[in-house]
Amino acid sequence: MLKEVNSEEFKAEVNKGLVLADFFSTTCGPCKMLSFVLKDVEKTFGDDVNIMKVDFDQNKDLTAEYGVTGYPTLVLLKDGVEVSRLTGLQQKPVIIKMIEENK
Amino acid sequence: MAEQIRYEFSEHLIEQQYAAEQAMLAELEAGNYTVENPLVKYNLYLVNPLSAVVAFKTEEEVAVTVTVLGKKPEGNFYHTFEKAKTHVLPIVGLYNDYETKVEIRPYRGTPAIITIKTPDVYGGVSPIHSMETTPEYLQDNVILVSPAGEDLASAFDYAGDARWHMNIACVFDVKRLKNGNLIMGTHRLIQMPYYMSGLYEISPCGKIYKEYRLPGGYHHDEFEMEDGNLLVLTDDLTTDTVEDMCVLIDRKTGEILKTWDYKNCLQQGLGKSGSWSAHDWFHNNAVWYDKNTNSLTFSGRHMDSMINIDFETGDLNWIIGDPTGWPEEWVKKYFFTPVGDGEFEWQYEQHACVITPDGDVMCFDNHHYGSKEREHFLPAKDSYSRGVRYRINTKDMTIQQVWQYGKERGAEFFSPYICNVEYYNEGHYMIHSGGIAYLNEEPSEALGAFAKQQGGRIESITVEVCDGKKELELQVPGNYYRGEKLKLYADGNNLSLGKGEILGHMGITKEFDTEIPMDSCGELLPDSCDASIIEEFDRFTFKSRFEKGQLVMLLLEGENETHRYFISTTAVPYLAMCCGTFLDSDERNTRTFINKAGLSGTFDVRVIVDDKKYETGVKITC
Repeated sequence: MLKEVNSEEFKAEVNKGLVLADFFSTTCGPCKMLSFVLKDVEKTFGDDVNIMKVDFDQNKDLTAEYGVTGYPTLVLLKDGVEVSRLTGLQQKPVIIKMIEENK
Repeated sequence: MAEQIRYEFSEHLIEQQYAAEQAMLAELEAGNYTVENPLVKYNLYLVNPLSAVVAFKTEEEVAVTVTVLGKKPEGNFYHTFEKAKTHVLPIVGLYNDYETKVEIRPYRGTPAIITIKTPDVYGGVSPIHSMETTPEYLQDNVILVSPAGEDLASAFDYAGDARWHMNIACVFDVKRLKNGNLIMGTHRLIQMPYYMSGLYEISPCGKIYKEYRLPGGYHHDEFEMEDGNLLVLTDDLTTDTVEDMCVLIDRKTGEILKTWDYKNCLQQGLGKSGSWSAHDWFHNNAVWYDKNTNSLTFSGRHMDSMINIDFETGDLNWIIGDPTGWPEEWVKKYFFTPVGDGEFEWQYEQHACVITPDGDVMCFDNHHYGSKEREHFLPAKDSYSRGVRYRINTKDMTIQQVWQYGKERGAEFFSPYICNVEYYNEGHYMIHSGGIAYLNEEPSEALGAFAKQQGGRIESITVEVCDGKKELELQVPGNYYRGEKLKLYADGNNLSLGKGEILGHMGITKEFDTEIPMDSCGELLPDSCDASIIEEFDRFTFKSRFEKGQLVMLLLEGENETHRYFISTTAVPYLAMCCGTFLDSDERNTRTFINKAGLSGTFDVRVIVDDKKYETGVKITC
């Protein structure tokens, strides 16, 4: 599933299984492109991966907690623990590989 | 409403030069041109505005000596051309904004003097601050400086007069080949910030004999092997890293014979310099082949290291650099231990490695940051750069510093990037500090290209020393990648007629595989984008202005297939900018280069900007 969440919603779900957090900004072209990529990724994994989009500018507590300094940043978490991270715009195969390696 | 954005088909320079040459030869055949009344074509090959070609016929085969007369006799350049009846002679070394006299003297014949007038190619701005040397020292050599910024290549004689210039941005290294030609980067940018299509083999008068194209482009440096083949620094632009590959190319065909990928012998992320990034983890800025050890030495700015690998196997032999922070097993196996009582310092973010005939290793030690530990980084005002020579013993892995020049000059000679040293003979060197920058009249923390954008002042200082004595110092405004001493007339080839060759291949431009589902709105890309397409025979360039944060994708839509190219509208922070020539002062301006390699058919060029797909009205056939 793919949805935009706020800090509270993120914290409520982050400890449950595989979570892909997309720290994005509404003022960032690559972030907008990544949204389309993540829609494709969602089609591949369905409910197996919870893709949560986090607005970088609106959720400073989360960016500080996860050490995110730029956008877009993808953080892959397994049961709440970070297992991998990608910075910058990525193509679908790179993201799928990261998820497959950490399932 | 216009039906298409601005569009232009640009002929390759080789085609343009061939057309000009053919027209000149036709004019020569049609006329009655003699020594006394020669055909004179100023800047025939379009790219060297301080050159000309003189053509005439003689009744008998005769050798001809051309003397480009200096303002004083010490400034004369001359060359004797082989005997012939038809003479097509390159004239190089014309003065800028001047009526240069050229003497044409047939063997045992009566000389004629012609006058060739040149415009001011520098637009009223002096390209030089000062030249301190003697005609006895520099003789008929010039000091050529190659671009690292918006100032293009120029060469200066003993008096500091510009005698050679290129009006196209052929950036990075310039070297003389054994056949007398020059080798330099092409002016065809294939990817920002400075990856070029390949190399030009070119005569000093500007005639391009060959373009060697490379799929991953060219950057920084090349090296001519004993058999004439070329080592070239390149990239794999389809991967996430840059400046970590070298190829050997066949001089006749341009085909790649051998590839070295440093990811195979080094580990990304080790030995980080102050300018390190994951994308540009090694930042290879020089290559040198050593016949004695059949090995290659590479300078990696972002590892503060010069590495040496086996030519055949690619295995790592040694690393010269500060071992601080490297894993113990790497230090034990590959690093040197300083010995001796003399002064010793490691190099930091160095450039231009050189192996001397006796196996010493030289480089330009930029000494940028002066440490591997952030807390000990030197500010620019306390920094220095130097040419340095190390003596290494690869049996006991010890190293001594046997020479340096530059540290004593402090920040006035400090270049945090680019630069080179040249070895002429024992004790006889060039040290080119080409990346000096000041901001508010203080040594700049920002690299030259960025300092200039912020209103700073940039300059280059080129020094030659012989047995400890300074024999030459050239100071020019602008940052220049390297200095090179050479004669404008070569002992070998000076001008060959005929059409140049375009060798090698362009790579397949990296596509974006995710579709943004959208129908065309039928509107032309808005005027505010100031969009244009320049097509060449092997690629096209899309230029356009977008606001920061816009979603932009270029589409090539054919009957059966669509190709997608994402265009980033986000400012890219560069930690290295060895060549700022192509930086745009307006960050909204984008340049996208699409190679035709791998594409087949006719495509409509459309552009998605946020929630609209626009027309450009341009079709590209591949």
